[in-house]
Parts: sequence; C-alpha cells; structure tokens
Amino acid sequence: MKNPWIRVALFVVALVALFVWAGEVVSRASGSTLRAAPGEGISLENGELIFWGPGKCHTCHAVGTRGRSVRGPNMGASADGDAMMIRAAQRARQRSAELGSDMTATEYLVESLVDPSVHLVTGFKDEMPIVYQPPVHLDPNELTSVVLYLQSLGGQPDSASIAIPREVRLSRRAALAVTPWQPYLEGDSAKGRALFFDPDGRARCAKCHRVGDEGGDIGPELTAVAGTRTTQSIVESLLQPSASIPAGYETELIETIDGRILDGLVLRETADSLWLVTALEEMLSLPLANIARRRTQDTSLMPDDLADYLSVRQLHDLIAYLRTLE
Amino acid sequence: MLDASLASTRRAAAIRLAACGIAAAVGLWLWWPDVLWAIQSPMQSGDGVRTFFGLSPRRVIWVVAQLHLLFAAFVVGVPWFAVTVEILGWRNGDPKYDRLAHEFARLFAAAFATTAALGGLLTFTLIGLYPRFSDYFFGIFAPVMYIYGGIFLAETAVLYLYYSSWERLRHRKALHIGLGLVLVAVGTVIVFIGSSMSSYMMAPTGVDETGTFVGTTWQALNNPLWIPVVIHRLLGNITFGGFVVGAYGAVKFLTAKTDDARAHYDWMGYVGNFVGLMGLIPLPFAGYYLGREIYGVSPVMGNNMMGGDFSWAFIIQAMLVGLLFIIGNYYLWSGMRRIPGAERYQKYIKYYIVILVACVAVWLTPRNLPLSPGEQLAIGGQVHPLLGVLGLMSTKNAVINLIILPTFLSFILYRRANKIAPLPLSQPRLGTKISVVAAGGLCLAILGWYAQVLFRLEPASLDLAADKVVYFRFTGVLVVVAMLAAITSVILALRDRGHVAQGLYLAVVATESVGILGVYGYIVTTAANPFLRQLAAAQWLILMTALILVTAIDLAMYRGARSYGGIRWGDVTAKSQYALVSLCVIIIMTMGMMAYVRSGLRENWHIYGVLKDTSQWAYTPSIGVMVRMVGGITIVFLLAISFLFWIAGLGAKRPDEESVD
Repeated sequence: MKNPWIRVALFVVALVALFVWAGEVVSRASGSTLRAAPGEGISLENGELIFWGPGKCHTCHAVGTRGRSVRGPNMGASADGDAMMIRAAQRARQRSAELGSDMTATEYLVESLVDPSVHLVTGFKDEMPIVYQPPVHLDPNELTSVVLYLQSLGGQPDSASIAIPREVRLSRRAALAVTPWQPYLEGDSAKGRALFFDPDGRARCAKCHRVGDEGGDIGPELTAVAGTRTTQSIVESLLQPSASIPAGYETELIETIDGRILDGLVLRETADSLWLVTALEEMLSLPLANIARRRTQDTSLMPDDLADYLSVRQLHDLIAYLRTLE
Repeated sequence: MLDASLASTRRAAAIRLAACGIAAAVGLWLWWPDVLWAIQSPMQSGDGVRTFFGLSPRRVIWVVAQLHLLFAAFVVGVPWFAVTVEILGWRNGDPKYDRLAHEFARLFAAAFATTAALGGLLTFTLIGLYPRFSDYFFGIFAPVMYIYGGIFLAETAVLYLYYSSWERLRHRKALHIGLGLVLVAVGTVIVFIGSSMSSYMMAPTGVDETGTFVGTTWQALNNPLWIPVVIHRLLGNITFGGFVVGAYGAVKFLTAKTDDARAHYDWMGYVGNFVGLMGLIPLPFAGYYLGREIYGVSPVMGNNMMGGDFSWAFIIQAMLVGLLFIIGNYYLWSGMRRIPGAERYQKYIKYYIVILVACVAVWLTPRNLPLSPGEQLAIGGQVHPLLGVLGLMSTKNAVINLIILPTFLSFILYRRANKIAPLPLSQPRLGTKISVVAAGGLCLAILGWYAQVLFRLEPASLDLAADKVVYFRFTGVLVVVAMLAAITSVILALRDRGHVAQGLYLAVVATESVGILGVYGYIVTTAANPFLRQLAAAQWLILMTALILVTAIDLAMYRGARSYGGIRWGDVTAKSQYALVSLCVIIIMTMGMMAYVRSGLRENWHIYGVLKDTSQWAYTPSIGVMVRMVGGITIVFLLAISFLFWIAGLGAKRPDEESVD
C-alpha cells in the first residue's frame, strides 16, 4: 500500500472507527441507552420512571444505593438517615409546629416538590427547581406519580392521600399551541356587556369600539370579534394592546413646525389636512403645512393599563361578553 | 509523455473513487440503524414536526446543522491566520509567508459557497421539518435575519475581493491587508449573530410566563449565554481552522513529489499546528466559563450536563482534548529533528510526556457519574476514597494549567533550538528593551486590574457571608505577588539575566496557579463555592501573563542570535504528518460531540422552558448514537472538504512549479 492517499484515508477511517468503538463501550458501560418512557396516567411505576428519567430528580437525589448524586438529600435509607417517607413524617411534625396546623407526611412531600424553597433540609442549597414549571414541567398526573413513588420509599403508596394544590393545576402551562388558553374564571357576559357600554365605567370600550350599531369608530369594530380571533388573542389585545395592532390603527407621532409634539391616531387625511384623535380622546385638525415631521409608531392608542382598573372578575366578565360576539 | 500523464490521471481518479467507496460504506455502516428504521416506519407527526421521507427529522437537522457549522468554522477561522500570516510576510519580506496566506485564501474562498449553501439548506430544512418551531423562532429573529443575510452578502463581496485582488494589490499590501482585516471583522460579526440565535434556544429572554415572546429583538440577542458561546466558538474556530490547514499541509506533504514542495507543506503544517494550539490553550477556560454560565441560567441544565445524561460525554471530551494536547506536543517534538542544535533539548521531552499524560488522566477522572450499586461497592463509596478528589473542578483547573505549561515550554524550546547563545539585552538594543518592558507592563495591567477586582469584591454579590472575604483577599495577595515577580523578571531580563527571569516567573506562576491555588480550590469548594469562578479566573490570568512575559523575554534574547543553521523544512517523519491528520480528525469529532451536548442539554425543548418538542423524537440520544452520528458526519465533512480543496487546487500552481525559496 504505497499510495499515500489510501493510507491517509484508511488512517482517518481507523481513527473514526476507534472513536465510535470507544463511544459504544462507554454507552454500554454507562447504561446510556434509550430509557423506557413513562406511560399515561397515575402509577407508582410511572413515578419511578419519571424520577429516574424526564423528571431529572436523579441528577440531584440518590435513592439508597441507587444513583450517586449528593446535591440533594438521599431519598432512600442510607447512612445519612431513614427512608424518605419516615423522614417526611418527622419533618411534617416540624412543619406542623411552624405552621400551627396539621400537615401529613404526604402533604410535606407535595410541598417539597411544588415549593421546595419553603423548607430547606440543613446542609443543602436552595437550588431545587419548581417541578411543575419549565424546564422540568411535570403535569399534575406526573407529579402524583412521583409522590406515589416517594411514598413507597419507607411507606405505603396511597394515591387517595395525594392532593395536588390548585395553583399547580392552574399554572400548568403547556408549550405554545399545544393546549389552547382557557379563562381562569367563568365570566358573566351580561355584566361584561354592561361594562363595555357603560360610558362612565372603568372600561368604556364603546367610546372607541363599535358592536353592531352602538359604539365609536376610533378603534376596530368588534361586532364579530369572537368569530375571527381566538380567546387568547382577545385577552392579549385587552392586556397588551400594542403587541399586535390591526392594520390602519397604528398611532403616529407628529411634530408641528411650531415645536408641538402630538401623539394619536390619524382618522382621516386629505390633500391639505389631517384629523387626529389623541389618547385623551381629543379630536384635532391639523393643516399638513404645519407638520414638520411625522412617524408611524408601534404603539396602540388603547390604554395598556386596563388590568389596573378592572378586577379579575370584571376582566373575565368582559372576556365572556367578547366571546359571545361571533 | 501524454500517455504517462493520462495514466497518472486515471490512477489518481481510481484511487479517489475507491476512497469515496470505502468512506460511503463506512458511513452506511455508521448510520444503518437509522436507515433500517426509516424503511420500517415512515411516519408523520402531528406535533409541529414533519419527517424527511420517513427519516427522523431530528437526525436530518443534526447532519445539516453540523456540516454547516463545520464549514462555517473553517470559513470564519482560517481568515484570522491567513491575514496574520500575510502581515508577518509583509513585515519580514519573506515571500513564502505571502504564498502561504494566498493558499489559505484559496481554500476558504472555495469553501465559502458551500458554507452559505448549507446555511440556506439548514433554514429550509428547519422550516420544512419543524414548522411550529420555525414560526416561533423566525418570528423573534426576523429583523436579525435581514441583517444576517446582508452581512453574508458583505462577507461574500469582501472575501472574493480579498482573494482576487491578491496580485493586483501586491504592491499596495497595506490596502490588501486592510481588506483582510475587514473580512475578519465581518466574519466575527457573523459568529456573534449566529451564536446569539443558538444560545437563545438554551437561554431564552424576553419571554413572559405564558411562553409568549414580549421582549425586544435585542433582548433575545443579548441572552445570558450569548457572549460565553461566542468566545468559545471563536476560539474553537481558530483551533479548528489551524488543525484543518495543518492536515491539508500534511496530506500535501505526504503526496509531494519534490523536496521544495515537501519543504513548503511541512512549513504549512507547522503553522497550522501552531495556530491550532494557540487557539486550544485558552479553550478549556472558555469552556469552563460557558459551563458556569449554563449553571447560572438553569441548575437543572447544569446538573444534567456534568452530573446527568451528559456526564459521560464529558469524559470522552476530556479524552479527545487531552489527545489534542499530547499529539500537538508530539508533533513539535518530532519536528525538532529538522532543527540543528535541538538535540540539547531532547532530554526534557520525557518529563513533558509524563506530566502531560498524568494531567490528562487526572482531567478525565469523573466526579459526578451516575453509578450502579455494584460500581459503588467496587470503588468503595459514591466516589473513590483516594481518587475522588481528582474529579473536583479545582483539580481540573490546576491540571489544565499544568498541561498548558509544558505545551508552552515545548514552543519555547522549539523556537530557541537552533540558537547558540542569547544576545545581551544590556547592550544598546532599544527596541527589544521596549518590547520586554511593554510585555511586563501588559502583565502588570492585567494582574493589577484583577487584583483590584478581588480586593473590591463584596461577598454579598456572590451570596456569601461577610466573613468569606478572607478567601478573596488571599487570592488577591497571590495576584499581587505575581505582579512583584513580573517586575523582578523584567529587571533581571534587562540586566542580562533572561534565563533566570524566565525561570523565576515560570516558577512563581506554576507554584501559584497550579500548586497553591489548585489546593486552595478544595477549601474554596467547600467553604465559599461561588467564589470558585473568580479563583479559576485568577489561576488562568496568572498563567496567561507567564505566556506573555516569558515569550517577550525569549524573543528579545534570541532575536538576531547566532544559530547552528537554518531549519531544514521538509526533514520530518511521515509519522509527524499523521499526527497532524489526527489532530484535524479529533478536533472535528470534538466539535461534533460538543454540538450534541449543547443541543441535547435542551432535552425535550426546542427553546428551553418555552417551546416544547412534543414529538416522538424528543428523547436524548445515547452516547452510542452520538458517536455514530458524529463519526459519520466527520467522514462526510472530510470527503466534502477534500473535494473542495481538490477543485480549488486544479487551477493553482504547485509549489514545485513555482520558485521556492
């Protein structure tokens, strides 16, 4: 084999093959192969798979002699103490004394998963993530399964004793476009309608928006808004009106030749004049000759502090009304 | 004559065809599980993901993205030293530098179009296979994409202008070098923008709690991992570019027909290795910085990196990087045979080998590996009672400094190998005196700045109790001691005690950076862990000043010194050229593996914590899958770049056809 090209090619292939071989050996030695994925529903087996898999619990906690992570307490019986459920009973008594109300061992387990900073075990840092939030992002069923698994470490698994807090269920957020957004409360559309059209109310939506024959024309017409927009989009428009401005409703910043700065929506424009409505709902007429500079802005004329004026209940009433406008 | 030429051409074509066949067979072998899987289960997903003719979309993206990154690394990395070599040639008037720089320019000009095409292919593939992700991602980065495209156009224009104006601007070299510097600057901007987009996927900013992007494009760009990734990538690109060019020189050397050509390509290989090692020396610290920032962004991600699914990948990485250092040093040592007078230094090499191998062994000692009960019983606990301490980060910081020192000393011995005796600095050589004083001043500025950082550091800023300030002060005092040593070394050098000055400063640096701070790191790990980052920075900065000052003194002492004779370029063993080839292959595999880690750390998230990958391909591939993929991509890349180099060389004169000095 005198040809250097072939020698170099074979040398390269041999190096790559050595790398692949070493990786395969490591893969086998480390058990770094595809793990079984947890199934659907609540079960102890799923909890164990989540603990040692997607829940990432094992990167900080060992269970007895299984695993070796020491960033968090060992969950099993070890030289450092009893198994988790026995310790949980002791800590629950301690927490009960602190809180002045009874706490069971299972409640302590749940609390340590959903709010790990509340009670830190001596000698460990406050670095555990909240498991129902990204990136771990366990759903209530997965969380229940993990608690079942932890109950089995020194105790009896009992799914009936596990109560996942309401805030966990409410805060459960799937990734974008996976789970459609839903209102937190059932609003009252009749109250929402009243709020919409009340000229002296906190929302005063009808001053700018038309529904059917009623309302103003400064903002977009909302007669069939629920038929053309998703609920999530409607909520976004209420709370962050500048996030997505319908075409033709962008505001303009205008500087007049005498130095005045005006900010508002141009309602109409002719060859020599324009009519501007400001955020204070003033209507101004301006000769074009008086304008020194003008620039379109990416902000909406609609106030962005509606959430400060409306209660959560009123906001949901308003959403409920808007959802009826199909 | 014509028949002989035709036969030679046919033979060469047959050899290349055979090489392609072998490589294709190996590639198929590496990928066969995926091919089989694709044949058996052509499927579609309803999770915002499409398949590619039944093939896993994830693997398709993996291949395209990695090939794009490798070509981009070459196109961005090589101009750095093409321009540097051109500047050196301009200053010293030696035409071989200019010829070498021109040859580099030809190589990256040939690779540029492929890089851009792969970038386009990556974008189209993302849009086609991951529409939901693309919608979200490009929605955020849309304004940047226009700028990105514009800068690519600018890069294209400057690159071809730089390459094609070589002859025309031969007598206006400053202008041509200016073009080269613009090329480097534009390439660096591209790295900045590209890195911000990939780092955003790991550390998204400007996102509200519902996962909606509510920030500005600048917020997205300026995410917490942006600069750490940029630094790591730029250094990686320089290392990669150096080693690829080194391998190119090696292959050309092995196939050269004349002594002149061998001399030219031997020199090219040497320069490539030199640049590669220069990039490699600070790379572990850039990696450490990136790793610490990843921990800062998400402890879950950080723990998974070093103590979870990816901990074994870092053992393999330590092996590969250790091999890069050892083989890079081996190449330098074996190259000493071409230097008359180098025999004097051969006796030191065995000590270097022992230090390097021992340090690499310590470096790849694991600490946070998931072990089975049987494994724990076998080693006597969760960590080995004796060797466990070698896995701590403070040990690793110490040994990487100890790896760098002999590598640096190999260079020093290499460059002074043919010199008979140093020239006295006390004689009127103002320029050399100024250079030594300037290097000393630079070292003092670096150390002085960091000393004041340490003395002013508030424990509360690191979530530490006030009494922990003692750790900062002690480290600060050591930095001040290094400053005093630097001043002493400069004075000694100016009084013709250059060797003593070098020895003194190296001894102080080794004692502080490796010895004292290495051991002190254990104490800091347990007593004031958050300070370990500043401690590691102190170790590294002290070491870097040694590289600056000792090099400056060496240059001053040996500039113009009498020599035993010139370097006999071309007088090297074939083994040393295979060392260059292996450096290139290893750096490609290392980059491929680290890309797997960086991407895999996001686990089942397209964008970490924001946009979930709910498809069936959202699992973390095993190490076995990774090595097959990275191995296959390495071979494909080498085939592709060899083909491009061959095309680029078709119209070029060979060195043996030119007048070689």
